[in-house]
Amino acid sequence: MVKTGLDTHKIVSQDEWFEARKHLLAQEKEFTRLRDRLSQQRRELPWVKVRENYVFAGPRGKETLADLFEGRSQLVVYHFMFAPDWEEGCRSCSFWADGFNAIGVHVNHRDVTMVAISRAPIEKLEAFKRRMGWNFKWLSSGNNDFNYDYQVSFTPEALENEVGYNYAKQKTDTSDLPGVSVFYQDSEGNIFHTYSAYSRGIDILNPAYNYLDLVPKGRDEAELEWPMAWLRYHDQYEDKSGKTRREAL
Amino acid sequence: MTKHMTGTREEWLAARLELLEAEKEVTRRSDELARRRQELPWVRVDKEYRFETDEGSASLADLFRRRSQLLVYHFMFGPDYTAGCPSCSTIADGFNGFVVYLANHDVTLSAVSRAPLTKLQAYKRRMGWTFPWVSSLGSNFNFDFNVSFTEEQQREGVVEYNYERGGHAMDATPVPEPVAQFAATCGTDAPTYSRDRPGMSAFLLEDGVVYHAYSTYARGLDGLWGMYQWIDRAPKGRNEKGIWWRRHDEYDNR
Repeated sequence: MVKTGLDTHKIVSQDEWFEARKHLLAQEKEFTRLRDRLSQQRRELPWVKVRENYVFAGPRGKETLADLFEGRSQLVVYHFMFAPDWEEGCRSCSFWADGFNAIGVHVNHRDVTMVAISRAPIEKLEAFKRRMGWNFKWLSSGNNDFNYDYQVSFTPEALENEVGYNYAKQKTDTSDLPGVSVFYQDSEGNIFHTYSAYSRGIDILNPAYNYLDLVPKGRDEAELEWPMAWLRYHDQYEDKSGKTRREAL
Repeated sequence: MTKHMTGTREEWLAARLELLEAEKEVTRRSDELARRRQELPWVRVDKEYRFETDEGSASLADLFRRRSQLLVYHFMFGPDYTAGCPSCSTIADGFNGFVVYLANHDVTLSAVSRAPLTKLQAYKRRMGWTFPWVSSLGSNFNFDFNVSFTEEQQREGVVEYNYERGGHAMDATPVPEPVAQFAATCGTDAPTYSRDRPGMSAFLLEDGVVYHAYSTYARGLDGLWGMYQWIDRAPKGRNEKGIWWRRHDEYDNR
C-alpha cells in the first residue's frame, strides 16, 4: 500500500493485477451483452407516424423534416439547447457536439443522417457553428412546434408549473433542455418517430464520459457545485501562458 | 409501407416507459463498473520507456504533460504500415474532438504506436487531427501492454490479447476476410497487420512514480468508438455485414 493523493490505493504485482483485471473483465463482458440487449429492446419499440409537417430554417433555406433525411432512411436529431434569446449555445451541448461533430460522415454510411436542431434563429446557429469549427448540419425550429412536441422546450406559462421532461413531471426554470430523437422514413415517404431520450439517457452518447469512466479518478465531479461545472467552450480553455488548451496540447 | 409495429402516441409512451426502466438500470450498471475500475489495484511501472514525440525524446512520465492521469490509446500503426488502421482512425475521429476537455479535467490522452514518428505525423496531418501521438518504436512498451506481438509469438500460436490466448479473429486461420481487407488498406499483409492490436490503457502519476491502473482491448473499446452509441439507437442498429467503415477521407461522396 502507498499513500496517494487519491486514497490509500492498493499496489500489487503484475500477476495479482491480472487476476483482479480478469475478474472485472467478466463483469465488463456481461455489461456489453446487457447493452447490446438494450439496443435491441430500443429497436423493438413501436413507432408513431409523424403527421405534422415541420419546416425548419437551414443553412440553405427552408427544409422539411423529410428533407433532413437526405435520402437516407434514418434520422438522428440532437436537441441542442439554444433558445432564441441566448447569445451562445449551451456549454454542455457544445461538449456533446464536439464528440459527435466528426462521426457524421461515418454514420452516413450506415444509412443514418445526423443533425442538430435548436430554437435560436439560423443566423445565430451559423455564427456559433463557425466559431466552434463544426461541420454537422444545424437547423432552427424557431418557427414551428418541433421542440415542444418532442419535449425539449417549454413555454413561459408551462414553466410556471411542472413540465414533462424525460417522461416525468418536473420543475425546471430552463426553457430548453437536451435530448435525442430518432425518426424513420419508409420508401413511400411516411415518417415515423421511433425513439427519444433525455437527461442521463444521452449520457453514453458523449464518448468523453466513457473515457473518463476508465481513468483512476473517474468523472471526478462529486465535489463540484454541479456535475459539469468544470466545462468550458473548447475555445475557452487556457493554460498559464494564455494559450487555449487546444494550442497547448 | 413499413412492416414495423406502429401505434398511437399513448401506446408508444407505455412501451417507452418500460424501456426507460431498463435504460436506467444499464446506466446504473455502467456507473457501478466505473467504480470497480477505480478500485482495481495498480502496478508500479519501474521500466524506463522512451518515446519519440513532436517535442523530442520523452519518458512515460513526460507523456502525462503535467497532469496526473494518462490515457494511452494504442493506435494500430505498425512500423511497416503505410497508413493507420481504419478502425482506430474512426475512434480517433471521435476523441480528436474532446481531448481538450479531458486535458482540462486532469487527463492527458495520447495515442501511442510503433510506427516511426515521421509516419505518424504525416498521417495525422492527412486526417486533420491535433491530439498528441507518439512513437514507441524501439521500446518494449507496446509488447508489455499486450498490443504488439512478435513473429515468433504468432508462429508458435502464443499471442495473448484481451487477456486470453488465441481467442481473437486476428489469430484465426485461415485469415478472416475483414482482417485481410484491413491489412491491405494499411499497405501490408495480414500477419504483419495483426502484429499490432488496439487497446486503451490508463496510468497514474504520483510523486514521480507511474502506476498502471487499467487496460482494455477488443470489444472493451466498443463504448469508446463514439459513433456506435448513436448507431445503436437508430432503427436498423449496427446492421453490419462485414466491414463498412473507412477512413473519413476515403468514403465515396454520397
